[in-house]
Parts: sequence; structure tokens; C-alpha cells
Amino acid sequence: MPATTGCAADGELTMWERSGGNKDMVDMLVAAWNAKNPRCAVKLTYIPHTEMVGKIAQGIASGQVPDLMGMDLIYAPQFEKAGQLVDLTDRVGAWPELATASKGHITVATYDQRLYGVPLYADVSALFYNKDLFKRAGLDPAKPPTSLPELRAYADKITALGGDVKGYYLPGNCAGCNIFTVGPLMWASGAKIEAAGPGDEPLVGDGVKQVLQFERDMVAAGNVHDGDRTENGETFHLQFGSGKVGMMGTGNFNITLARQQNPGMDFGIALLPGMTAGSSASFIGGDLVVVPKGSKRVNDAVNFMKFLLSDEVQVEVYAKALNLTTRSDMVDNRYFKAEPLVQDVAKALLVGRTPYTLTFFEQINSPQGPWLKMLQRAYYTGDDLDTVIADAKKEMSAIAAKS
Amino acid sequence: MRHRWTGLAYVAPALAFVLVFTVYPLGRMIWLSLHEWSLIAEPHFIGLENFRTAFSDRQFWVSFLFTLEYTALITPVLIVGGYLLALLTASASRVRAIARTIIFVPVVIGLGVSSLLWYWLFSTDFGVINRILLDLGVVDQPVLWLGVDAGTSNSAISVSVVWKVIGFGMILFVGAIQAIPTEITEASLVDGAGYLQRVGRVILPLTMRTVLLVTLVSVIGSLLAFDQFYIMTAGQPQNETATSVFFVYLNSFPYLKLGYGAALSLILAATILAFTVVQLVLTRRSEA
Repeated sequence: MPATTGCAADGELTMWERSGGNKDMVDMLVAAWNAKNPRCAVKLTYIPHTEMVGKIAQGIASGQVPDLMGMDLIYAPQFEKAGQLVDLTDRVGAWPELATASKGHITVATYDQRLYGVPLYADVSALFYNKDLFKRAGLDPAKPPTSLPELRAYADKITALGGDVKGYYLPGNCAGCNIFTVGPLMWASGAKIEAAGPGDEPLVGDGVKQVLQFERDMVAAGNVHDGDRTENGETFHLQFGSGKVGMMGTGNFNITLARQQNPGMDFGIALLPGMTAGSSASFIGGDLVVVPKGSKRVNDAVNFMKFLLSDEVQVEVYAKALNLTTRSDMVDNRYFKAEPLVQDVAKALLVGRTPYTLTFFEQINSPQGPWLKMLQRAYYTGDDLDTVIADAKKEMSAIAAKS
Repeated sequence: MRHRWTGLAYVAPALAFVLVFTVYPLGRMIWLSLHEWSLIAEPHFIGLENFRTAFSDRQFWVSFLFTLEYTALITPVLIVGGYLLALLTASASRVRAIARTIIFVPVVIGLGVSSLLWYWLFSTDFGVINRILLDLGVVDQPVLWLGVDAGTSNSAISVSVVWKVIGFGMILFVGAIQAIPTEITEASLVDGAGYLQRVGRVILPLTMRTVLLVTLVSVIGSLLAFDQFYIMTAGQPQNETATSVFFVYLNSFPYLKLGYGAALSLILAATILAFTVVQLVLTRRSEA
């Protein structure tokens, strides 16, 4: 049955999505589908982000799965390998829309050359900078930093303004926030972070140590608020909009949020830099739409995917809400033309990457994992950085060895 | 023989309940602890490997010792504090009844809700506690209460837990104190015993069973601590405030190592059983 953007059969479709993701965007997408397809409306259930992997696994183990799921893209390979997602290759593989779909999403949606999902939404990381603070510090607001040494110099000047203003922001107790924002600094400096699987070496390249040293120096220089050390992700999205931070790695979602929070604030967006001038990188995150094994509505789940990738939804839902389109050929639209910040952040898609590993949570995202342990030792202790990296490398390798 | 079947019929519902909700899950957990199972793949029998892994897992010992430390810190506070509050509020008067009610109210709030409440109270940037301390000039910059220093985090969480549960012990102690026959109290008064002598030689010995009961409940509750640490520190800094149950949860669900989680649960259950046996022996001795 060829896919359409309408109903294949009558009856409600059930969908699970994580609550910590881009909820507003998903609500809009589902509302758009439901308005067009009232006979097969999607009923959305949000699962707390931190519970998502466990809940999906429990659902699969007990046979209680929804018809389709939004899934943090980073966890997809684990479920693909376990054979718990429906192989969509023969149903969607030939769609022309996939040729321009977000590469990061398609990479993790693919396992053993079979395709298991399509992008639901994309979050990319970039460097947000406060132009008002730049002006006050005597910096040119049209020239954001293009290297880490430059970023440090700018931060020093902004921090020197005094009061409650700091030049930089570092989420000290949030593993996910750091892979999203500090990870790209390492990539841009030529490093590799995670171990893809057994035998693969993590934390390779001088960039790891250089970036850890850079962040340690930023903390020591007082360029970061002390309270940032307790940031566990709860208030990460609110920090830039507070107007007290000169520069901060965050995501495209913060454009709208910061504007709502602080309408008078003037800010710009640049790419996250590396050690040398002109180098840059980004983390392409977000969610995939996948179909769990046991779904009773695979045809409509596929139709929903076709709907998401359609020209109309890409422009009139994603772009209109100033969210990134999930197809690169849709970036040239009237809404983005009127909004330079989105155009700026969209450039991150070109330098972005998405880690591919079966143990992302254990290695990177867990508050108990080696990634956050390494960062905290680097940021807040005087431990020898080579030892810190060696310890993390050993732990990450051990986790990957069991995958 | 007929009476035997009649008796069995009477206890059958309770027996079925125990079989379904206690015996079967326990058996299933033992079975699970001998397997490697990620929930999303087929279980794989590995014998005692999960137990071997647990005993050689540094983080298991860190969380286990931290849980014991937390238990040792909070149990005396709950017992002594609860008992003192009971002594102060046990006698019949309207003011004391109101005080009892105020102290008991947090007990009926869910632990998750109270933990979230205290998480925000202790928040570095938005917390009322830091605001008050700054305004009073006690500190000159916000205190990093949660997730930065294990000792500070543990103390802050202990404060929240004491606020939440101290009323439970107090109510039990009040009941025990009020149950002491008035003739005994009056006899001690006639004998010229002062208040402290009356507490030490009359009230405390006669309420010792309740003290041991509250101790048992507090110890078990502390060994099973999870919600408050999950919500307030998520085990930080660097896993130093990860309790045993937190470690079980982490392995079972986010890491999808259900067999390992089951093995850890069994080890924890055995520890709690050992504590309970010791408590029961002490209780019997106090009765003898």
C-alpha cells in the first residue's frame, strides 16, 4: 500500500513521546495531523524523559506498545539491534524526501543497512551570545568568537563588567547538557568522544584534554556562576534568557524561549568553535519517529511519517514555529528568511554529528556515567587531566565492551 | 479432616494473595538474578555471575556503604527527636494537640512531593533557604546545597526527611506513652521521682517495645531510601549520594540490566532481613 498523508484505516492512533524533548513542536505536529485526519487522530502520551528507555522496554516486554513512538534518536540503535522496531526500509526507503532528511537522524535510524525511523524534530547545539553584554564589554556584537582562545578572551571582558554577569555558562551537573554543548568543542578540536562498540577507543585526540583545560580555566577565572555547578538540566533552558550570561552553548529551541523570557534582549548565534580559528561542530539531537514491534497500525504510522516529511508540514508547521526543518531542502522558506537567527542556527546542521553507540546512556548521558565524572573532575578539581581522561577512557571502554 | 479443609478455605484468599504478590515475585526475582536480561532481548542464563559482578563492583560498595552511613545518621535523629516531641506533646491539651497535628501533617505528603519541595527550597539560584541566609547575612554567597558536596547534600536531604517522617515516630510514641497506666505514673510521683527520673525509669522502659518498633521501621525505610536522593541529587556528586536502591533502579531500567538489578535487590533484601532478625532478637530480650 503506497503511503499517503492521510488515514489508511479509521480509529485512534496511540503515540508515546518523551516529555523532556521539544514538547511544543510535537504538540503542533500532532495537532496538524489530527486537524487533517480526524478519523485517525493521534492520541499522544508523554513519558518523563528520564524514564523513557525503561518504559519503552517494559512496554515491549509486556506487549503493551503504542502504534508509533517518538524516541530520543540517541537510543535508537539499541532498540534496532534488539529487533524491537519495525523495519521500514521497503515501505519508506524510496521516498525522495529521505534524500534531504537530517543525516544525523538517518544515521542512527539505520542498523545493518535497514531503516527503522524518520526524523520527528531536530535540535542542534550552537553558541548563543548576548549582544547587549558584548556592547557593554566593548566587544563587536557582529563578531562572535571563532576559536576557544577567543571565547576565553571575550568571556574575561564580559565577566569584568561585574555584578551578576558572567562571560560563560557551564552546566556542571548535567551529562546530557554537556555532550550537547561541550562535546562539539571537542569534536571541533579534532577529538572523538564515545566508544562505538567493543574494542573501539573512546576519548581520542588532543582536543579532549585541550577542551577540559579550557573549561577548567574558565571556572578558575570566575567566568562561570558558582551556582551553575549544581545545574542538573532542570534550569538549563532558562539560563541564557536570564540575561546574565555572555555566551553559552545551547540549542535552537532557545531562540523562542529566550525571546519569551526576555523580550528586550538582543542576541546572536554562532557555531560552537574548536581550538583553532574557523573550526566548528554541533550535536544533532532530537527525536525519531519509530514503529515498535507489535504496533497494530503500521500503515498509518508510515502515513504519519510521510506527513511529517511533506513540504507543507516542513514549512507551515516546523518553519512557521521557527523550529528547524528536518529536511535540508526546506530551509529556504519565507519564515526563516524573516528570521536570521534560525538561518544562523541552521548552519549547525552542516557541521553537526550524532554519536552512534549502543551504550550512549551508560557512557554519556547517565548522571552516574564516566562522561560526567570526567567533566566534573576536570572542571572542579585539580586532578591531573591525563589521569582524569585515562580513568574515563577505561570506564567507557569497559561499558562498550559489554554491548 | 473436614475441619482442616474448612480452615484452609478460610485462609485461602489470604494465602492466594501471599502466593501471587510475595512468593511468585520473589521466585521470579531469584530466577531473574541468575540471568542476563535487557527487557528488549531474550533472557540468557549466567548462573551466579550477577552476584560475582556485584561484589566486585566498586560502585555497589560505594552505594551500600553510603546507605549504611545515611541510615546511621538519620535513625538516631528520628528516634530521639520523635521521642522528645512525643514527651512534649503527649499530655492532653489543645495546644499540644495542635502541635502534634502540625508535626504529623508532613507524614501524609508523598515522599516524592516533599523531596521536590525541598529540592526547590535548597536550590542555589531560586531557593528560599539561600535567600533567607543571604538576607540575614549568614552567608555572603549562595550555598551549593545539593549535588556538589556529599556531606552537605546528605545533611540537606536528611533535614528534608526528618521534616517528612519524624511525626510518624512521634505519633507511635505518643500512643505508647498515653497507654502507660496512670497508677504507675502516680506511684512514681508519690515516691518522689522527678520528671527526668520518671522518664528514664518509668516511661522509657514501658515504651521500649515501641522504641524498637520505630527503630526497625526507620532502619528499613533508610536502607530502602530512593525518592529523596533520586530527586534531590540524582546520586551526585560523582555517585557519592547514590543509595543502594538508586543503584538497583539505575541498573534495572536506564541501563536495562534487569538480571543484575535483581541480584542487587536480593543482596539488599538479605541485608534488611539480617537487620530485622537482630531487631527481633533485641525486642525479645527486652521483653524477657
